[in-house]
Amino acid sequence: MNAAEELKRLLPNAVVSTGIQINKPLAVIRKEELLKVAEDVKEMGFDHLSVITGIDYTDRFEVVYNFFSYGKKQNLVLKVILGHDNPEIDSLTTFWKGADWLERETYDLVGIRFTGHPNLTRILLPEGWIGHPLRKDYDMKTEQFVMLGEDGEDVVSTDGSKLLRRK
Amino acid sequence: MDPVTIDTTKIKPAKKKPETALEKLEDTGLINTVLAAKEREGLILFSTVDQIINWARLSSLWPVTSGLACCAIEMMAVAMAHHDIARFGMEIFRASPRQADLMFVAGTVTKKMAPRVKQLYEMMPEPKWVIAVGACASTGGPYHESYAVLKGVDLIIPVDVYIPGCPPRPEAWLYGVIQLREKIKNEGYGAKWGLNK
Repeated sequence: MNAAEELKRLLPNAVVSTGIQINKPLAVIRKEELLKVAEDVKEMGFDHLSVITGIDYTDRFEVVYNFFSYGKKQNLVLKVILGHDNPEIDSLTTFWKGADWLERETYDLVGIRFTGHPNLTRILLPEGWIGHPLRKDYDMKTEQFVMLGEDGEDVVSTDGSKLLRRK
Repeated sequence: MDPVTIDTTKIKPAKKKPETALEKLEDTGLINTVLAAKEREGLILFSTVDQIINWARLSSLWPVTSGLACCAIEMMAVAMAHHDIARFGMEIFRASPRQADLMFVAGTVTKKMAPRVKQLYEMMPEPKWVIAVGACASTGGPYHESYAVLKGVDLIIPVDVYIPGCPPRPEAWLYGVIQLREKIKNEGYGAKWGLNK
């Protein structure tokens, strides 16, 4: 029995389906039960949350969690499916400290909000950037530029005349 | 009766328009300075001011220490002993743009980095030159359709030499440096008047 099936045995209501994703056991879970599942996953020995990814499928969002257990040398993939309007999910920062920056990254690029996150701000792009670039409906036509403010901070603007050379 | 003999030495030839550099020197009379120096077994080196200045500039191009992406690894290879840009007097990578006169834009210019690159360029004293290294700095390269990358550093600062490649081999890099030296050699009024050849 792999880790995903064990999880389904423990929480039959929370796990929608199980399977294999690139040689790793996969469990698709319900959005509401995430914190309960996370508690069990942590107890099963998965002490390392290596990656959080958000994917835009235009009709839905998927958030993928990749876990690794240093004790058992095992992988586990959790997947949560969210609606396309106003995607929101519980934060896992209380269980894994490393989730902090990973969730900020997913918020920055895909725009999924993690409720309960201590500091949910952009991590790669500067504050004030319009849109989340890894979304399929991101506007590629309006170009945005970054300029330096008075204190050296980043200022985002669609008007690049101060930065670009006059032709 | 003796045939009329014409003394050809008394006929002045029409003044020829000076064309070559030597003729121009003769025309200005400066060649006499050289000849006088020769008579005195002279230790005078004669040249145009432009030529001397350009020679000094191109022989000690000091690049600013800045690398933006993987091309900077190649920059280290160029600076190391095997390819050795010390042959061109360029081994001193200055840590401050105030002391540098050449900037290698070595790598991807992201939107966030662009104002910093521009500030670095503006901090450099004149005269200054820029070499855009690699596909990213020249055109955006593989990131041409990215939201976060500037499509060529020449959008924000003027570029003298573009070196293509992803990243360019050190040989290509050296070729770019030699092209820049050629360019510097032909700067100024002397080159326009044909005296720098």
